[in-house]
This record gives sequence, structure tokens and C-alpha cells, in this order.
Amino acid sequence: MRASIGRYWYAYAMVLPVVVVIAVLVLYPLVQGVYFTFTDINESTIANPVLDREASYEFVGLRNYLNVLSGDASFGAFWATLLRTVIWTGTCVVLTYGTGLGLALLLNRPMRLRGLYRVLLILPWAVPAFISAFAWKYMFNSQYGIINQLLGSLGLPQPVWLGQSDLALVAVIIVNVWLGVPFMMVALLGGLQSIPADLYEAAEVDGATPWQRFREVTLPGLRSVSSTVVLLGVIWTFNMFPVIYLVAGQNPNTRILVTYAFERFFSGASRDYAVASTYGVLILSVLLVFASFYRRALRRQGELV
Amino acid sequence: MAEVAYDSASRIYTGNPPVRAVDQLNLDVADGEFLVLVGPSGSGKSTALRMLAGLEDVDEGAIKIGGKDVTNVPPKGRDIAMVFQSYALYPHMTVAENMGFALKLRGTPKQEIKDKVAEAAKMLDLTKYLDRKPKALSGGQRQRVAMGRAIVREPSVFLMDEPLSNLDAKLRVETRANIAALQQRLGTTTIYVTHDQVEAMTMGHRVAVLKDGLLQQCASPRELYDRPANAFVAGFIGSPAMNLKTVPITAEGAQLDGLTVPLSRASLDKVGGLTEVTFGVRPESLKLAGADEQGMELTVELVEELGADAYVYGSVRIGGTPERFIVRVDGRTPPAFGQTVKVALRDAGEIHLFHPESGARLEA
Repeated sequence: MRASIGRYWYAYAMVLPVVVVIAVLVLYPLVQGVYFTFTDINESTIANPVLDREASYEFVGLRNYLNVLSGDASFGAFWATLLRTVIWTGTCVVLTYGTGLGLALLLNRPMRLRGLYRVLLILPWAVPAFISAFAWKYMFNSQYGIINQLLGSLGLPQPVWLGQSDLALVAVIIVNVWLGVPFMMVALLGGLQSIPADLYEAAEVDGATPWQRFREVTLPGLRSVSSTVVLLGVIWTFNMFPVIYLVAGQNPNTRILVTYAFERFFSGASRDYAVASTYGVLILSVLLVFASFYRRALRRQGELV
Repeated sequence: MAEVAYDSASRIYTGNPPVRAVDQLNLDVADGEFLVLVGPSGSGKSTALRMLAGLEDVDEGAIKIGGKDVTNVPPKGRDIAMVFQSYALYPHMTVAENMGFALKLRGTPKQEIKDKVAEAAKMLDLTKYLDRKPKALSGGQRQRVAMGRAIVREPSVFLMDEPLSNLDAKLRVETRANIAALQQRLGTTTIYVTHDQVEAMTMGHRVAVLKDGLLQQCASPRELYDRPANAFVAGFIGSPAMNLKTVPITAEGAQLDGLTVPLSRASLDKVGGLTEVTFGVRPESLKLAGADEQGMELTVELVEELGADAYVYGSVRIGGTPERFIVRVDGRTPPAFGQTVKVALRDAGEIHLFHPESGARLEA
């Protein structure tokens, strides 16, 4: 050990800053967050140097977990919120992936002005998310929004989009899909371009119809790109706080796990850090379980080595 | 089983000026024949093959398979199988699935597919690998799978686009013989594209030489070698290449430096009023001359010893300018570098005369 330090001290010295940064920025908050879930920490029990008040929170064991997992409405109706989160995530990922793949297929064929279309379709990605979110929020405004004006001019009903109904969830899903499509499109376009053209020719000579070529050449060729972008899409959407919060605000009909954790942390009579942390740990657990199952499924298909 | 015909088929790429990648190709391939299309890169040989496969449009003329005009028939309706240079194996399918894919698309019963795949795998020594994916195979095995995929379909024509160019030299020679033997056994009409004239000469019943989209000559390997239709074919077929030089001509014959090659009456008639001809002689038609014989003075620049033979590369002055000549000599007693030797013809009949401008063959 000593000999190896003497020999490789330079390598250790070079790695040290990264280790320190990860420890301070990732490990310490994570460990502290997990610790908070076993306490009753909130605004009135946390140490407050301004009021010169000592920390007075106490260890409460698994009480927070039991409260949250009971699904009680006063603790955010965990199971109902989880179900809504899953619906939100599933719908968003399926729609962004499907739309992204469709656009990528269109953009992959030779045509005029292809470069221009590509740039235009990537634009939503280049705009800061909060600007897009606010723009959409006004477009969805029931009285002055362009969407309802359009619907009205077509003689269709003009619903209250962002009110206390499931339409609000539909609205935020639309916004999130709009924001998420460019990423999917760019990633899948790259995947499409890496499929050798002679595979399509071989399939054509073998007698495959265009649909069979898509199923037997395009989709398998995209599998490794798809598995990555779907995993990323799920994780990002599951934790997509800004779109929901900026477009719909604190609306129980669009509440997902992260937005509830945020509400619990920053608002309410007493900012309940303990329950918010419990939500955070539960979200992390759900995603870890999902990711490990997902990877196992891929490995079975022989995609990951 | 079918014959194939190109009937003035052209492929024209739009552009300014338009490029005639394949220009008025006329070619008839008999049922069961192994025809090789050979030419340098850009000669249009692959394009011609892809036109037959239906992967490339035919802009003028027609293509017939088995007497039926297939010019506007999509690939799947042509009853052909193609082996690609890159093999184009489906990466997510096993060897067996790759080989049976076309049959599966056709709706062949599962058991029948299995039997046919097993049979082809046996023929190609692939039985052990049927459950593997292509990435777990060596280059030679992949090549065989690509062949197997074509065989399983029992098509009326095999198309092969440089199927050996991704193999190493030793495997290429071995596979070359295997493909030729397989074709013989199956008796399926085969069109084979290569840029390698050795492959063309050893595999084809007939060889079609293309250059710049134009068919130069289509004949048996022997005929191509002995009676090339023009200077391009003469230079392209044979390794090392034929010595082709422009030399002055008189009533006595072709004037090489220190060596006058007498021409037959028939040849002289053909030469007509020309003062110069393109004179061609293969390295093996030259020999080192004895001291008392007439011969060209050749200064040795390089000797390639191949064991049985040696090729002497040297320069000869023709009309004052040095010209490179290659001479095949006995491998045991090659001349040394820098030496000057006398070179003469083995047989005055083994020469080729071409028109100095058009390159067309002049002899009768």
C-alpha cells in the first residue's frame, strides 16, 4: 500500500479534486437527505442561526415512511401521486419517442431544405425551458390564449385548460412533449444514419416490404440508441419539475412526486423538510428499481454486454 | 435457372454534364453461366450489377431475366439473390435467421425453412454456427453466411458484388475456389463483380471487361488473354501487365531499340499507312537473348523473385526516351540490379498490335 502511494502519488493527487467535489456535491447532500427522513425536521425544529436557535429535531425512526406510504391525503396521497407520475412519464416518453422517431425518419430522407427543417425542429431545445413554459402557459390561457382562440374560431368548445381538472395534465403533457421531441429526434436521427444502407438493399432483395424493412432493419438498428434515450427520457420526465410547476403551478391535478416534494419543502404552514426528503428518497428508489429492471431486460435481449 | 440479358441498358446520373455510369450495355448471359464483370473502380461494373438487382434505375434500354423484361420490376419480383461486399448480414438475427429471412418473408412453412437452412449450412460448413449472431463470426464465416443466405432462396440468378474483397489473401484464394465449385454444383446463373483480374480469370466462364461504363470485351478468359480486343483489355488482364509501347513501324516490322520485330503480311495490311503502332508483348513472351542474337538493351532496375520465376523490370530506350519493360526470366538465374541485358522475343507470333489512337486491335 505504502509502495503504491509512493509510486502513484501523482495519479492519486490528480484524482483527489474530483473525489472531493463528488463527496461534497453528491454524497454529503444524499447522506444528509437520507438522515432527514428518519427525523421530524421542519422549519421550527431546524437550527436557525438568525434566531440563535439550536436544532431541536428528533429521531423518529420510520414514522415518515409509514405516514407517506399509508397514502394519506395529508401526506400527499403517495400512491395516487405515484400513479399520476407513472401515467405522466409513460405518456410523455411514448409520445416524445414516437414523434421523434417519425420526424427523424422524415428528416433522414433526401429532400430540399433538409438542413433548414433540422434547425427549426431543434429550436425548442435551444430555448430555455422556463421561457417555453411561460409561453405555453399563456397560450393555454382560457380567455386570451391562442389555443382557445383557434378552437373558438373553429367552432369548438374552449375549455379551461389549466384549471382543476385532468385537462391540466393533458396540457402539461403537450408542453413536455414539445420540449422533449428535439432530443429524441436528434438522437434517433444519429441512430438512423448509422444503419448501413446495404442492409436495406439486402432486405429489399430478400423481398421485404417497406413496413418489413422498418421492422426488421430500422427498429433493430435503432435498438441501442432507443434503449438509451428511453431510459434517459423516463428518468428526466419522472423528475420533470419545471414544466409542471411553471405551466400549471400548484395544481393537485398535475401533481407528481417531485412537485409534491417541492411543495412540501417550500410551502405550507411549516416547511416539512423531513417528509420532502422522504419523497426524495422514495423517488430515487423507484428510479433505481426501474433502471435495474430495465437494464436486466436489455441484457436478456443481448443489447448490453 | 434463367438466362440474363442486358439490352442497351444505360444508367445516367443527373449532373452537369450527366454521367453515363453504364453506357449502352449489351450482354447475354446463358443459363447456368458464371459471368464475371471486371474493371477498374468507376468502370460501372457494380452499377451494372445493381441495375440487374433492381437497386439502380435503368434509364435507357432493358434488362431481361429468363426472357422476361424486368426493367421496371422491383427487386423482390426478380427472383435474384445478392451477396454484398460488406455481406449486409442482419446484425440482430442469428445465422439461421439470416439465412432463412427471405423464405420467412415469403411465408414458407417453418419446418421447410429449417430444412433448407440446415442443408445450406451443411454445404457451407456452417452447421456449428447456426445459433450465433454475425458479430461472433470471423470474416470468412460471415462471407459464407452471406453465400448461404443466397443459396437458401434457390433463386434463378446469383449476383455477387466483390464478395471476397474483405477477406485476407489466403482465405480469398480458398474461398474463390469454393465459390466456383459451388456454382458448378448448383448450376445457377451467376453474375460476379470484381476489380481483381485474377479472380475474373480464375472464376468466370466468361469475363466482361468494363471501362468508363463501356463494355470493352466479353469473352472466355483464354480469349481475353490471347486476343485482347483493345489496348485497355491487354493492359488490364494479366499480371504483371503486358508491356505496351508506342513504337515506329516500317516495312521490315516494328522498330524496338536494337530489335526489329517482323510482322506478318496480314498484320502489315491491317497496319496500313500508320507510321506508329501500340506494340504489346507479355512479360512471358520475352526472354534474355544470347550474345549473338538480336535484342533490346535493357537496364535492370528491379528484380522480383517469385521462386519459380523472376520478373525483371528495366528500361529500354525507344526513340531516345526510356521505356519500362517487364521480362519474365528463370527464377534461378536472374540478372542483377544495374546490369544491362539483351532481351528478345520468344516467338514472333506472340505480339499484339493496337491502333495508336483508338487502341483497337490491329491483327487479324
